[in-house]
Amino acid sequence: MKTILKTSLAAAALMAGPALAEYPADKTITFVIPYNPGGGFDTIVRSFALPLGEAMGTTVVPENIPGASGSRGGQAVHRADPDGYTIGIYNIPGLTVSEATERDIGFALGEVTWIANLATEEYGIAVKADSPIKTMADLCNLGQPAKMSDTGLDSTSSITSAISFSIMDCPLIHVTGYGGSNDAMIAVMRGEVDATLKPIASLAKYTDAEGGSGDLRMIVTYTAEEALPGVPTVADLGYPELAKFTINRVVGGPPGIPADVLAKLEEGFRTAIESDAVAEWAGSAGVKLNFLGAAETKAMMDDLSSFYVQYKDLLAQ
Amino acid sequence: MGLDALLNAFLEVLNGGSLLYLFSGVALGLIFGVIPGLGGTTALALLIPVTYTLAPLDAMYLAGGVMGATSFGGSISAILLNTPGTAPNAATCFDGYPLARQGKAGLAIGASAAASAMGGLIGLFTLLAFIPIAREVVLSFGPSEFFLLTILGLAAIAVSVKGKLLRGLIAGCVGLLFAYVGSDLITGEIRFSAGVDYLWDGIPLVPTLTGMFAISQMIELSLKGGSVAKSSADEAATMKITGVWEGVKAVFIHWPVLLRGSVIGTVIGAVPGLGGTVAAFLSYSSTAQTAKDRDTFGTGNIKGVIAPEAANNAKDGGSLIPTVAFGIPGSAETALFLAILVLHGMDPGPGILLYNQREIYGLIVALTVSAVGASLIGLMLSRYLIHITRIDVNIVVPVVIALSLTGVYVLEGRMADVFLTVVMGILGYLMIRFDYPRLTLVIALVLGETAERSFHQVRIISDGKMLDFMLTRPVSIVLILAILVTFLLPSMRKVRWRRKAESG
Repeated sequence: MKTILKTSLAAAALMAGPALAEYPADKTITFVIPYNPGGGFDTIVRSFALPLGEAMGTTVVPENIPGASGSRGGQAVHRADPDGYTIGIYNIPGLTVSEATERDIGFALGEVTWIANLATEEYGIAVKADSPIKTMADLCNLGQPAKMSDTGLDSTSSITSAISFSIMDCPLIHVTGYGGSNDAMIAVMRGEVDATLKPIASLAKYTDAEGGSGDLRMIVTYTAEEALPGVPTVADLGYPELAKFTINRVVGGPPGIPADVLAKLEEGFRTAIESDAVAEWAGSAGVKLNFLGAAETKAMMDDLSSFYVQYKDLLAQ
Repeated sequence: MGLDALLNAFLEVLNGGSLLYLFSGVALGLIFGVIPGLGGTTALALLIPVTYTLAPLDAMYLAGGVMGATSFGGSISAILLNTPGTAPNAATCFDGYPLARQGKAGLAIGASAAASAMGGLIGLFTLLAFIPIAREVVLSFGPSEFFLLTILGLAAIAVSVKGKLLRGLIAGCVGLLFAYVGSDLITGEIRFSAGVDYLWDGIPLVPTLTGMFAISQMIELSLKGGSVAKSSADEAATMKITGVWEGVKAVFIHWPVLLRGSVIGTVIGAVPGLGGTVAAFLSYSSTAQTAKDRDTFGTGNIKGVIAPEAANNAKDGGSLIPTVAFGIPGSAETALFLAILVLHGMDPGPGILLYNQREIYGLIVALTVSAVGASLIGLMLSRYLIHITRIDVNIVVPVVIALSLTGVYVLEGRMADVFLTVVMGILGYLMIRFDYPRLTLVIALVLGETAERSFHQVRIISDGKMLDFMLTRPVSIVLILAILVTFLLPSMRKVRWRRKAESG
């Protein structure tokens, strides 16, 4: 599959001059996904690909370049020519955290040409439906650290729980190695861990929310305002700053994309996000669309970097 | 409710254009299966963009056709060239290839076709029977069970390598060492990567397997020269396809082997992360271990073909158990199947059986038709296929090497995978040359990661009291007993044999 990418990159290099003048010429735009097919990043890119292509008047081809916690995909985009024919979605704030802890991700996030923020997802914590744990206070006072299931210590959700639990002065142990967020939630259902922190939309599939299976119960949401009826927010618990922990679906390209090309890409995403196809998908998947243009996205990314640098020492542990 | 839906799904398939998609899937699956390095995952990943424009059900038929056909396709190369076409066919080489060398390729292909079809059917019927209790099944398999299953697999290594125990264990340990390369799943630290970021995610399986089996076998063949089948022109008569129907019959004569393989395949298939390679290997080793004629395994025993082939087709049904229960994939192929659903605007989750019933049953029907259809096509083609064993290896070798290296490259588009394949090919050849079993290395590589991860999970979950924790779980207790039996069986046999010798 990647051969297509390679050839299109080579072609892009050859045609860079004339192509720029009439961007987007009748040439495919490669949209890099840094994970395997089927995950959250894959889903969002694939649901944007068609409407984005229509908006730009060309074809958008998603390419999966998985590996190294999303940094291989980011590297591939970084190395491509900044002609607007190669863009990617980034593992944010996973990569932001890697950078904050001075782990080499193979490129600098600060150099990326940020194009748009597509969606922002918020977190919640859920326990098994019949668990005696009813509140965050219960979870923090089990007599032993709360066991939380997760994929890996470098995942955004486990970083979020590590930082937020330390702020709330709540002891926890990560049980990592679960294949994905679904596996981590099923670990809670099996009862081998106490709770898990995951995006609200993912958790809702297993709670007694509409269409959910009723296996899990949410005890808190990491939001500033009430997200679900009857479920307290971190603000209610006295930690409003924790609502800053979100997952962002951010699109960017190689360093130095010319301003006119960038403006066209930004406009393309703005049109695509308003399309019926994206709205329908976001509705069924419970994803909160949140469009930010290039300038705002860059500001948000810089803001995120300094936010996570604060917790550098905690994260380095 | 289930039966109605199933019947409807069957009728829908018979309806017009759907069959076309299904059989395109089968044909593609067979081709991708036969070529070493390419497999069902590659085929599905390449097909995903194509399914954009298809109706969701047609996409299911295409996917099901591919999934059901690849492992039989892979057994053809395993039998004829000692080169598994897909990872799960590795165990089929043990007895399939010796049969081909004896000029009985027809027998082996016949048995593989029938075992694949029957294994696939049994796996799917098991799935249908399990659908009402799928949730309970998934919830009763946690880290503790995963860990014990991997130990069972590793224990099977020790008993599967007859007379070469030490060599088998050495190869297994090297496999485990390979499995530790890459990021530590628990701490996230990068280990043994020698500063190469290619190794961050560990040593990838497909290039290793392709090198170990395809490339090394081609080196071996080219050094030997001649053709695969020993038989010369005057024995051409025996090369006729007379054996094919014998092979089909053999499957039904040895129905306990078929049944056991199918059950093992279904169970292992339901465990995410283990997959067909382990299922086929466990099925082979447990059959070889308990058979009365176990000494003939590895020299062309037809049961050694039936066992793994039944298992690696039954695993497709098994891998759908977690999918219907919670919308989570049980294998790489089902992960891609879910990705196709997502592409068509569906959001597979725990309600998948409620909201996506048509698609799930469509896939089940497609898998059923494909398992049988692929075998029928294979049987029809077998008379031509077995000629491969008589072609001069100087023609076979370059073709297979080119195809497998291309296949490895296509999968991820990384040149490093191709280099790794070549390195593993050389290592594999050295292992053939010095008589070390290659499959034990590969099995250990597959199991190592799950073993390590689930070990740590159980350790943390149980606060360090691992055995106490395991003994509270019924499935774990059964698995512990199975491990003990596996270890003790050979010595128990020895004692009995000695007693017999003394008394007789």
